[in-house]
Amino acid sequence: MRKYWKFMSILVVIILSIGTFYVKSVTSEANHPEFVIDTQSGDAKEIEPLKLVGYYSDTSSMDYTSTDVKISSEGSTYERRSFLDQIIGEPPAVIKEYQEKYRSFMRGKGLNVNSFFENNQFLAYADVDYKTDSFHSHDFKFPISILNKEDASVQSFTVDIPDSENMDYAYMEDLQIIEDELYIITNNMIRNPEGSFDEKHVYTIDLANQTLSNDDTFSQVPEGQEGNHIVAQVIRTSPTEANDHMILLQKEIKVIHDPESYREEVVKQEVISYNLATKEKESISVSDLPFNSELSFFDGSTIYFIGIEGQEIFVTPYHLADGQAGEEYRLQLSGEDGHGSAPMTTIKDGKLYLSGQQLTPKLNINAADVIVADVETGDILFKGQITLDDPKAKNQYELYLHEMLVE
Amino acid sequence: MKNYLQLVNFEFNRIAKLFTVLLGITFVAQMIGVVVQSRSYLNMANEKMYKEMMPQAEFLENFGQMSFLQIARSSWFFGPIALCIAGVAFYIFFIWYRDWIGKNTFIYRLLMLPTSRLNIFFAKITTILIMTFGFVAVQLIIIPIEMLVMKAMVPDEFRLDMGVVEVLTTMPELTLIYPSSIMQFIFHYGLGLLAVSILFTGILFERSFKWKGIFAGLLYGGIAVIVLILPLLLHEFVLNSYFYPIELFVLEIVMGLIVFAASIWVSGFLLKNKVTV
Repeated sequence: MRKYWKFMSILVVIILSIGTFYVKSVTSEANHPEFVIDTQSGDAKEIEPLKLVGYYSDTSSMDYTSTDVKISSEGSTYERRSFLDQIIGEPPAVIKEYQEKYRSFMRGKGLNVNSFFENNQFLAYADVDYKTDSFHSHDFKFPISILNKEDASVQSFTVDIPDSENMDYAYMEDLQIIEDELYIITNNMIRNPEGSFDEKHVYTIDLANQTLSNDDTFSQVPEGQEGNHIVAQVIRTSPTEANDHMILLQKEIKVIHDPESYREEVVKQEVISYNLATKEKESISVSDLPFNSELSFFDGSTIYFIGIEGQEIFVTPYHLADGQAGEEYRLQLSGEDGHGSAPMTTIKDGKLYLSGQQLTPKLNINAADVIVADVETGDILFKGQITLDDPKAKNQYELYLHEMLVE
Repeated sequence: MKNYLQLVNFEFNRIAKLFTVLLGITFVAQMIGVVVQSRSYLNMANEKMYKEMMPQAEFLENFGQMSFLQIARSSWFFGPIALCIAGVAFYIFFIWYRDWIGKNTFIYRLLMLPTSRLNIFFAKITTILIMTFGFVAVQLIIIPIEMLVMKAMVPDEFRLDMGVVEVLTTMPELTLIYPSSIMQFIFHYGLGLLAVSILFTGILFERSFKWKGIFAGLLYGGIAVIVLILPLLLHEFVLNSYFYPIELFVLEIVMGLIVFAASIWVSGFLLKNKVTV
């Protein structure tokens, strides 16, 4: 045995040292503080389905490292994702569910929620596929797959995208099926000698013949109007719900060149309701629509125009069926004006959920409101704040939230 | 089994000197690093607070506390690690070629041993593995000692104490050597072991067929890499992303095991029938 002492001792060192390290790394929870959503008014039950996702970093030393954190009504959990979790990836919850239910259909499909449509009968998928070489993109195609849930049959085909010579790239905005037609809504980036700009397209695919039957374009750069350009934005919807209308917010932007600066000013704003099946465009006149209403949301029957002014969020519901605008209401946010970014919002089951995004005590950024309100009337059902559970804990940290889930 | 252990012990004793020297360099250089980094932080603090009359709170606000990460990010810390890596890389080749160098070629005696010649292969690859794990393990022991030295040098209010696990898991450069989970550790070093087995096979090709063998060895390495990444290539270019990530991962592990087995088999064949003294 004495012959082996060097070899044996190094083996013992290896096993003890590496073993201790991994035992420690499993058992030692990093000492991150606990965050809670502190109720100020209303019913704490309202935030039970709410999950906020973001990251936490300790800023007391100059070495910025951050940890993923999830905050819910039950407090905060810090995620250290296991090796296998990292390999499997974390697809959005909707996609994960599809993968479990329709494992074979979901093979080779992307993870973009906008590429999917589901109703009682179908699960449909479409994406934009193209090749790129060093100078330009070409061969733009829609790979399309439709699963018929009744007989589990799958219809797969590809359709060439027309007029794609000048296209740089394109991505999916939404997918819908109404009767025998598939509607693919995309954002196409066009490059021509004058510059580059975005176009919104609604492609209609006839499912019986598997051909493209119509292509509607929105927000092309108007010719001859130097300096002015038009941008369009598809109003957010719940990605999994069926809608027969698409709501577009179209802005005409004037670019002002001063000798020393470059500004953009919105000169005109228009809301267009587009009926996918009949292809009718209708302009919706909303008086006093704020220019910064990027947070707006469409739930299939009502458009909620959501804007921010200072520390106030204001919401105007607009009912599509009767063309009536509802009463505008306002929600007050705490914290100082101009600190931190706009809150996250989403609408689900008639409730408006709102959450601040950033908590940095050192810079006085305290956008930590959590509000649940009745989306029609603006009645506040819950109002609270994200705070540290232990008020004595040090305030050298930064919490940044980037995703809000309502389950 | 006993023969194998004797061979491993024998091979290990042959590298013990090099191994100890490298560990010594690592310890000394990193210790100097701790002192230099702590001093330079303290000097800066002194300068700001006493010459520029900056209040202590403001200094901490602007420059932050000192943590072990500052030391771990310096080249005093990384240099010796790089040197050890280079040492292992060099020794992967030298562990074979040293047996052919010199007056009485040692390989002759090794090949004459009354044991399976594959044991020579296993003993050498085990030695490389032990050498690697040895560096990894001793570094884990050195770090707490370095932390103590830093603690002694930097006063409490200027210091942010971190645990060994915390330091190693927050530095992306080090997570390659110290992955945060044991699964990943096995995966990383398994991949390393596979690479060493392919290199060994290449070396044995060269030892068996000389100049032509270099070509054969390169060819073998190329084929091994292609077989290894075959599932990825198929997935990406032929099958239209058919596999789910977890399936691809399992396929890759299977491919790795196949290549590893092939390397052992080919090496065994070469050692038994083709290798020349």
